[in-house]
Amino acid sequence: MSESAPKSSEVPDADDEGKRYTGTSMRRVEDFDILTGRVDYIHDIDLPGCLHAALVRAPHAHAAIEEVDTSAAESHPDCELVLTAADIEEHYQQTPGRLGFKEWALAHDRVRFAGEPVAMVVAADRYVAEDVADLVDVSYDVLDPVTDVYAASDDEVLLHEETGTNLADRDEFVFGDVEGAFEDADNVVEGEYSWGRISGVPMETAGAVADYDSDTDSFDVHCNLQLYTFNGELVYESLGYPAEKVRLHVPENIGGSFGTKIAAGARYCALAAMASHQLERPVKYVEDRIEYLQAGDSHSCEREYSVRLAVDDDGTIRGYDVSFMDDLGAFPRYPLPQAVKPLSVLSTSYHIDTVRYEYELYLTNKVPQTAYRGFGVQQHTFALEMTLEKAARELGVDPTELRRQNLVRPDEMPYELPSKNIYDSGDYPAALARIEELVDERERCEGGLLDPDVVEAKREEGKYRGTRPAVTLEPSAGVIDYASRFEMSDDEIEANTREDVASFPEHLAADLRPDGTVTVHLATSSAGQGHQTVVIQLMADGLGISPADIDVDYLNSAEAPKDFGAAASRMGIMLSGASVGLADELATVFEGAAATHWGCDPADVTYADGAVTRDGGGDSLSLADLAEFVDDDGHTATYGYENPAFDLPEFDDALVDKLPTYPGTAYCADAPIVEVDVNTGHVDILRYYSLHDCGTVLNPDIVQGQVEGAIAHGIGGALLEEFAYDDSGQPLAVTMFDYLLPSITNVPEMVVEHRETPSPFTVTGAKGAGEGGTISASAVIPTSINAALEPLGVTVDTVPVTPDRLRAKLRDEVE
Amino acid sequence: MTEHTTSERPQRDVQLTVNGDAVTSTIEPRTKLSDYLREECNLTGVRVGCEHGVCGACTVLVDGEPVKSCLTYAVQVTDSTVETVEGLSDGSELHPIQEAFHEENALQCGFCTSGFVMSTKALLAEHPDPDDEEIEAGLCGNICRCTGYSPIYDAVYRAADAMEGGD
Ligand code: FES
Ligand code: FES
Repeated sequence: MSESAPKSSEVPDADDEGKRYTGTSMRRVEDFDILTGRVDYIHDIDLPGCLHAALVRAPHAHAAIEEVDTSAAESHPDCELVLTAADIEEHYQQTPGRLGFKEWALAHDRVRFAGEPVAMVVAADRYVAEDVADLVDVSYDVLDPVTDVYAASDDEVLLHEETGTNLADRDEFVFGDVEGAFEDADNVVEGEYSWGRISGVPMETAGAVADYDSDTDSFDVHCNLQLYTFNGELVYESLGYPAEKVRLHVPENIGGSFGTKIAAGARYCALAAMASHQLERPVKYVEDRIEYLQAGDSHSCEREYSVRLAVDDDGTIRGYDVSFMDDLGAFPRYPLPQAVKPLSVLSTSYHIDTVRYEYELYLTNKVPQTAYRGFGVQQHTFALEMTLEKAARELGVDPTELRRQNLVRPDEMPYELPSKNIYDSGDYPAALARIEELVDERERCEGGLLDPDVVEAKREEGKYRGTRPAVTLEPSAGVIDYASRFEMSDDEIEANTREDVASFPEHLAADLRPDGTVTVHLATSSAGQGHQTVVIQLMADGLGISPADIDVDYLNSAEAPKDFGAAASRMGIMLSGASVGLADELATVFEGAAATHWGCDPADVTYADGAVTRDGGGDSLSLADLAEFVDDDGHTATYGYENPAFDLPEFDDALVDKLPTYPGTAYCADAPIVEVDVNTGHVDILRYYSLHDCGTVLNPDIVQGQVEGAIAHGIGGALLEEFAYDDSGQPLAVTMFDYLLPSITNVPEMVVEHRETPSPFTVTGAKGAGEGGTISASAVIPTSINAALEPLGVTVDTVPVTPDRLRAKLRDEVE
Repeated sequence: MTEHTTSERPQRDVQLTVNGDAVTSTIEPRTKLSDYLREECNLTGVRVGCEHGVCGACTVLVDGEPVKSCLTYAVQVTDSTVETVEGLSDGSELHPIQEAFHEENALQCGFCTSGFVMSTKALLAEHPDPDDEEIEAGLCGNICRCTGYSPIYDAVYRAADAMEGGD
């Protein structure tokens, strides 16, 4: 249905730089086992003698736990174990949290969101485990719930009494003379916008299979955590064991994550491990979909924005003032930096020097937040685009012209924001012009979707069409050191030095096998991004060997360095940088081993295309011949690729100030053609145009898949998806009948055009590609809806734009 | 999944032909077909994404018809013929539908893929040369969270070409 990149499955010729695979749509090596059903996801991992767990979850949003009576459950003949908070307190530790909070893996004294786990039961299989779970009798004293940020902010009911407030954190950043700009500007435009609670909702839920070994007093925990080498502390600290005693293993495929499995699933790892420790048998727990939706530790941002824009009559933007309240749910968790990541794209694609940015993060009786694709940037982009839409209307100027005239120009690249991140490269005005041109040529013409006659005729039927193109940005490959600012005082941040900054490199290791093939070990989990394929492409080129002679596996958390992994659209950049370095490192090891064998100087040995040769002589060894001479103590070679922002002095100021730095800024210019049915409130996207630039493309098909998949997520966020709650704190979307994911019927045809402006800051010129479509679509769809409804004078201000909300607007404002 | 239990749980016999093999078991009547296939038959290519009939990851063919195995008790379909993704290809050759998904990049995480492949098989049996609308109707009961669907259309067209009305 889309115009996609050319395909190529045969081996192409090498280009000037010796690249044969990088940059081609090499078919994915992951596919065969998936397509034949052979691949094992966490759901499929079974260990001999494995028992199965089920959770008892709280029915109330906010309640004191008076008693947990496990006697009936324990007397069930199939019950192997009932674990409660009391057991955990006796044997284990709290899970580390953020901002000084710690949590118990099972609710202790009080439940703070509906569905919070209160007890775990273990039995022979899941069916009977659920029977036993039904027998656990918990009595509660129900408390008033806090169900939104406004109620949270008056502190009448407290989530955590000991802290005295529901405000978990607030901060304000002022860049330039904001008050002066607002006083001087010809116009001040104000707006309020709401972003509903959504999340990644991958097709695979979270789970864990834990196996305690009493001989070594250590654990093997199979899980589907994202960043398992980095956030493993959530598991081992909960157990009260050192990191090396808790080996987290990820299967080669995770069934989607989109950021969510950074926090979601850690609790299950800890609980399954505790149960296995108690029983000295393997224990498996996989949440079901209803548990996932209700309380799977996997919701994400829910924000209320208040914005002001200072803009002159000639369209020059003088200042932007944005503040938001975010509903964190019951505890602050790891993904708090979602609140400040937007500083890395403070004025998005526009040149605005004077900005105030403020956030307040509130605790409520809802599911704690995890990360989600976009990581806070889509909400920020949405608020700014909605404000520009309103400004154009109030000033009576053309909305696209207002955007165009304020875009960062190519001659300003690299462009440093007031918040000190730097946009590396790109031509935003050209992108906007091109998307306009595409829409004009194909749609604003006879027979097109926006043919003026057709638009007019459709209005007679109550169907309003429109589009509003915009250029939006995807910051990628962040140095996540800024995350620690939440635990630091202003004085500590002030005293921070360049030496204090942690670098977040990406690690790879490789082994030469006796048969001359190479195994590359990743220290990151993969959830559909094609990491194995991309690494094989780069390594095949780097070593000059066939992709068939390379395979990829995953280190467990105890073997792997604890740095980071796949998140923040960093893998295209980081894995490619690491692969290039690893191939060089291997070549050096091969040359050294051959030199030792031949008794010559390594400088006289050359590695190329799968063989070492001795300069000037006839000696030559293939990799298979060489294997016996390569030291097999540990890995043949390892390489850690430093984040490029870490190495570039341009980013030092931002790093020292603990501001987010994302050295690759991908961009896209998107134009959805929307049709709003004013009779039903239904919004249909008739076609979606996107021009996308993520720098050097490593595998066009994989990038295309990321772009289209990300747009589909943005469509869901803009129109369909929401974790709504009622006034008593009960979640209203606990099945997939209520939490609506985009299906084949509501994702439109996508027309995607690519540009390649290599990043000057990254080794391969690549930038991130996984989040841009999500960031863009959920901003340009609501502005396009407002464009379509312009003749009626109706505007939306809340996403998702559900039929319900839209009909209410139309009723109030038109009828 | 029954052999470990010690309590009295009701049992029923079920007999099926699964991917060409006759299978007979004694199971709890509440055993879902999805769990039966995954746990008794070890056909874990049957994925469960929701267990309430929305996502389609668990789609298998029962007597040639696409069925959400999470909404079906195994005992309901006793004496039927069941096909799962594992039955499509033997050894190293992919079935043309699988090959088409591979060539068109119609999978990322792959968790939805078994379901899409089986729904496509049923779709092409009914419409060997489908158009966009028939594809939508045939696959609207399957959710893919990764791809945005466009490569899935391409894969169905490619498979239809390759199969030319055969299987
Ligand atoms: S698992 Fe059966 S439809 Fe989702
Ligand atoms: S490939 Fe991940 S859900 Fe479809």
